[in-house]
Amino acid sequence: MPGSHEVTRVSRTNGRMKRDRTSIILTCLWTAAFFASCSGLKPYQNTPDNNLHVHTAADSGSWFSSVRTVVDIHRVTRDCRTAYEGTVQLNRPAVDVGIPPNRWSRLVFVFASSGFLANRSGSITYETHLKPRGGYQYDVQVTYKDDMYNVAVRETPPGSSISREIEHKDLRACSANS
Amino acid sequence: MNRIHCFASIMCVVWLSGCISHPQTPEEFRKAVPTAFSAKVETFEVDRPFSQVATTFQKMGPNCLSKTIKTTSQTKTSYQVIVTTYKPTVLVTPKKAELHVQFHHDQGVIGVGKEPEGGYYLLVADASPVSQSKTRIDLYRPSMGHGVLIQAVRNWATGENVGCPDLTK
Repeated sequence: MPGSHEVTRVSRTNGRMKRDRTSIILTCLWTAAFFASCSGLKPYQNTPDNNLHVHTAADSGSWFSSVRTVVDIHRVTRDCRTAYEGTVQLNRPAVDVGIPPNRWSRLVFVFASSGFLANRSGSITYETHLKPRGGYQYDVQVTYKDDMYNVAVRETPPGSSISREIEHKDLRACSANS
Repeated sequence: MNRIHCFASIMCVVWLSGCISHPQTPEEFRKAVPTAFSAKVETFEVDRPFSQVATTFQKMGPNCLSKTIKTTSQTKTSYQVIVTTYKPTVLVTPKKAELHVQFHHDQGVIGVGKEPEGGYYLLVADASPVSQSKTRIDLYRPSMGHGVLIQAVRNWATGENVGCPDLTK
């Protein structure tokens, strides 16, 4: 019967189209996963205590440019070497992060700017080292305005509302105090 | 650093040197700037004790300016990557605080002439006490480009809006 042949042909064609679409989607997903793994950036796995509260205010000051802010977190080993642990996107005004207490971590704040018209990009980093104390809370103010940036870290003891600013520390702090 | 800054840097270096030699020391830089085409001296006083200005230079100079910056510019026909390393030096005595900023192109720009150790001099800021609460600043700086860096150093002197300059601008 010609009619049933046509139905069969149409349903075969539909099945092939579905398979093609599925394979295209799978290929796209694999490609995305491949490039994601090759980019070198991985999401940071928070520790449960969420002791670092990052408040970000970043404004490029222009319609034709943008600034993206992230913080790369590195573990500092006992011999004061660093190992990349992951990246936290600072794309919200407030982001809570868990940093392991009682050991040094290296925090690298990255300000990546790009211009749409000039098609140019660049990034600048600010890094500091932090050894959080157990039970203490840490507030980080990250600002970028008028092409100036600032990172300020404050420490608050448990059960207190009085905080103190923590000075910028480089890797020498690790070898001096570890 | 965009093309204008790059051009300004090269012009600064070329004109400061008179196409013969580059200032090899901060003192040579101070002497060359007043007659240079693309650099100028800016002098002002701030209502801040000298010790505070010196402390800010000591804190912010190394934190903000010990950087290696990579910028990428792309058009339909070109792709340019410039890598620049900045080197700050802060010297403090009871009578004077000096901030020297040098730069060296690691990639993307060809150097002309003899480069001082640590890179070409880009900016020198001298702070000296006028009274208990006032400090005089002599800023030897480029007159084209590097506006963000210059503004940051001014802010470190005045103590207002103290932050780090985005050296990619």
